[in-house]
Amino acid sequence: MADDPTRDAKPFDPMEPWRGMRDIYMDAWGKTMVDMVNSEAYAQASGAMLDSYLTISAPFREAIEKAMLKTLEQLAMPSRADVVSIAERMTNIEMRLDDLDAKLDKIQRLIVQAGVAPRPQPGKAPQPSKKTKPAKKGKK
Amino acid sequence: MAEATVITDPLTAAADRLKMLTKVMTTKAAIAQTPKELVWTLNKAKLYRYIPVLPKEKRHRIPLLLVFALMNRPYILDLRPGHSFVEYMVNEGYDLYLLDWGAPGPEDKHLKFDDYTLDYMPRAIRKLKSISGVEEFSLLGWCIGAILTTIYAALRGDEGLRNLILLTAPLDFSNKQDLTFARWTDERYFDVDKVLAAFGNMPGEMIDYGAKALKPVENYVGNYVKLWDNIDDPRIVESWHAMNSWVTDNVPLAGGVFRQLIVDLYRNDKLMRGEFVIRGERVDLSRIRANLLTVIAEGDHITPSCQSEPIMSKVSSADKELFRVKGGHIGIMAGSGASKNTWPHIDGWLGPRSQ
Repeated sequence: MADDPTRDAKPFDPMEPWRGMRDIYMDAWGKTMVDMVNSEAYAQASGAMLDSYLTISAPFREAIEKAMLKTLEQLAMPSRADVVSIAERMTNIEMRLDDLDAKLDKIQRLIVQAGVAPRPQPGKAPQPSKKTKPAKKGKK
Repeated sequence: MAEATVITDPLTAAADRLKMLTKVMTTKAAIAQTPKELVWTLNKAKLYRYIPVLPKEKRHRIPLLLVFALMNRPYILDLRPGHSFVEYMVNEGYDLYLLDWGAPGPEDKHLKFDDYTLDYMPRAIRKLKSISGVEEFSLLGWCIGAILTTIYAALRGDEGLRNLILLTAPLDFSNKQDLTFARWTDERYFDVDKVLAAFGNMPGEMIDYGAKALKPVENYVGNYVKLWDNIDDPRIVESWHAMNSWVTDNVPLAGGVFRQLIVDLYRNDKLMRGEFVIRGERVDLSRIRANLLTVIAEGDHITPSCQSEPIMSKVSSADKELFRVKGGHIGIMAGSGASKNTWPHIDGWLGPRSQ
């Protein structure tokens, strides 16, 4: 039986030429846009837009912040500044704990080196993973 | 009835495509699946250790710490099984650690390069040394992560840093003509203090817009056209879904770092000129003596090669190599060709230097 030469051929897709045109157009459009965003004029325009937005929105932001602060105060709830302050203090405490951890590590190492104490058990370093079978359910 | 089937089939196919399109654009792909253990935390930062798959005698002795950019999630390094740098390196026998910076909150708006390189990194590295039991280590920094690792290497490189790998490192800002970001953030047009006074931290959405606006048609139109054209190909759809999940997961940049990045680096190129000061210490690049591999993406529009090349002549490393690879800023590590080009080269360079 002879092989059908058209069997492996790609079926005709009427959209293919359209896609080709689209890709050529998008390529050209893309290059134009890259040139545009690279220009001094774009930098100036985008900077001006951002600046206008920040200037116009500043009074609204301030008003909302003040209103929120008053509301939270009346509800006896902590403000954003209070929460931020607590978070900063927490980070400082974490750093102190980390310093202590470092010192303990150093002391442990020195003790081991001096041979005063038996070598500590290996830490919590993860071991090579082993494929384990799921545990069999016991008979009741 | 047969005619009805013929008419319905294209409609059903179109409906299926739309369903798939909606799914991949509105859901998150399963990413960062290589098994790992959290070994250290500080504020939002987390240090992970990947569970080794090879026995200790077959592993490299020197551990490797991955440091990614501050304003993106680091799981781009572990995107999906079979397409993950992390998975590849663990399989090659590296004792692998990842420093995840997390997302800064309003309380972190003052954080600067100073804090990340002299508070966070040394502490994470101390923990790494304590767990691995080895005093030496290798560092791999990518994008802003490469700025952090370079600063660390210059200031604290004598504390056991054996190998330094810089990927698409934006270190030299002298060529303003080729740097679109430098033009956009020029002091005539961009008031960095006004932006930070309004937002505290630089919002992730604004950073994302900045990155995408460098190639607006490709990122805002072409990306989705490519998905639609290949919506029937599960392999491409899966890859697109994973990458889109990462791209849309934006992280703000701490205000202090953003200010330094714009004022000290983009505007005044202080790092390359040897004028960048971190907590009173001048960052002298000639103090870098670790073995150095710099990887440059030839098609990188975010960090053009002119930003990464000059470090080679500034460092004192006796063993240094510049490796150019075809691809973009992210594509060289997460693209389809990464597992054939970039990853094996990094492994080939690092392996013999990790014994």
